Amino acid sequence: MKRKTKSILFGLFVGLFAIGSLVLVSCSGSSQLVTEKTGAQLWGENCVRCHNAPSPPSFNDYQWETIALHMRVRASLTEEEVAKIVEFLKMAN
Amino acid sequence: MKRFNKLSMMVAVLIVGFLLPLYGQDAATLQQEVDALKPRLSRFLLRGYAHSGFEKFEEGSSFVGGSFNPIFLWQQSDRLLFEAELEVELENGTTRLGLEYANMSFILSKRAIVRVGQFLIPFGIFAERLHPRWINRLPSNPLGFSHGEQVGPSSALGVELRGGAPVGSGKINYSVYVINGPTLNDGSVEAEEVGQLHYDNYEDNNDNKAIGGRLGILPFSSSALELGVSAQMANVGDRGSVYENTGAQLFAVDVSFVKNITPLKSIVDIKAQYNLTRVNRETYTVGTETFRFKNESNAYFVQGVIKPAFVSNTFLQKLELAGRYSALQLAPDAPWGAEKTQWAVSVNYWLDWRTVIKFSYQYTDSPVSEHLEAEGGSGGGGAEEEGGTPLGGAFLVHWSFGF
Repeated sequence: MKRKTKSILFGLFVGLFAIGSLVLVSCSGSSQLVTEKTGAQLWGENCVRCHNAPSPPSFNDYQWETIALHMRVRASLTEEEVAKIVEFLKMAN
Repeated sequence: MKRFNKLSMMVAVLIVGFLLPLYGQDAATLQQEVDALKPRLSRFLLRGYAHSGFEKFEEGSSFVGGSFNPIFLWQQSDRLLFEAELEVELENGTTRLGLEYANMSFILSKRAIVRVGQFLIPFGIFAERLHPRWINRLPSNPLGFSHGEQVGPSSALGVELRGGAPVGSGKINYSVYVINGPTLNDGSVEAEEVGQLHYDNYEDNNDNKAIGGRLGILPFSSSALELGVSAQMANVGDRGSVYENTGAQLFAVDVSFVKNITPLKSIVDIKAQYNLTRVNRETYTVGTETFRFKNESNAYFVQGVIKPAFVSNTFLQKLELAGRYSALQLAPDAPWGAEKTQWAVSVNYWLDWRTVIKFSYQYTDSPVSEHLEAEGGSGGGGAEEEGGTPLGGAFLVHWSFGF
């Protein structure tokens, strides 16, 4: 019974969370297509989903290419996102 | 005077004429040396992470860690990547070397990548994305997500197809895999673990392979929200045993929300995952004893982090506050049944984007008192020692370092 209550609470959390997120994201007014975004935007939005956004001078241009391929596999980033993020990192380096 | 000027000019011309070819030679040599250092198709990169710290449990305290995880990345071409991670750590006074993963990926197309070898299983998000010490915002893993009390797989040998694609203003990511799958302990070796699933199955125990996958949906263009569902099915008994056709079904749901909340001048990061494992009901005979129980376990965590990254004070910018609640229930009627809950809070200070010092307090409780002694920690042995998380309160200070 106690476990059922916990499961219900967890379900409620997920439901409320999804609704809250919907409201928050809708308020931000961002409905831009991923393909229309700049590399800087994609870098800021995607890296922080797991860890802090890396600083461009942390690695050289060639290293960024290898890291980008690694992240494309690990984080299932799309080809377009990876290309733009790498372009940004190289430019900012 | 005129003659002197002419002489000076002649000397200058001679000097320039002599030095120019030398300069040209040096520049050409330098260019050659630079070109020689320029990476070609094959590129190697060593990355990884390390951590160390101090832990004070109710029954003792100890410095812990001193471990590091080198990650080897070998890019063979624009489409081929080999990656491997080792785990080097001290355990009971000896150095333990473990292989976290070693696999090869090939970019099949814009939307599909095939991966072969030992890889982190995308069963939820914790094992694959959040477990590295410098990424995990708390010094310990949630209950049910560590060795010794694991509910759900973390890494395995097999083959996987995965990728990501934009859909409307959002995107999706997917993974489908075939692996050796977990094994069922029939009690013949470790009687007290009869009926338990073991996930470190590097040589398959039967001819049935586990099939699983995860679908992640990011409905908004900001990628702020991700909702994921995962499942895995397999027969888990040993080949030729009465349990050969015993099935196990594993499920997980996960949520991630990361967004810059402008009025708070902060980044808010919320993550949650729920894992459920079910093994078909069987009768196990160990010596003269017979066991039959509902073999269902679950574990979940909900974690929130707030980082005031956009305030003007540079000290506060580097601080973050993290909190997590996690719970674990291992098949209540099994000999290894257990139930635990845990609160954990942490104040983290980031020295740079990949180096953090975490000051944390956690309290682990169990309503099932008879399991306390069996599960209870020796104290100071580390938050993730074999056998599970020690009960009671604990202070943990960890320094984690990504490189």
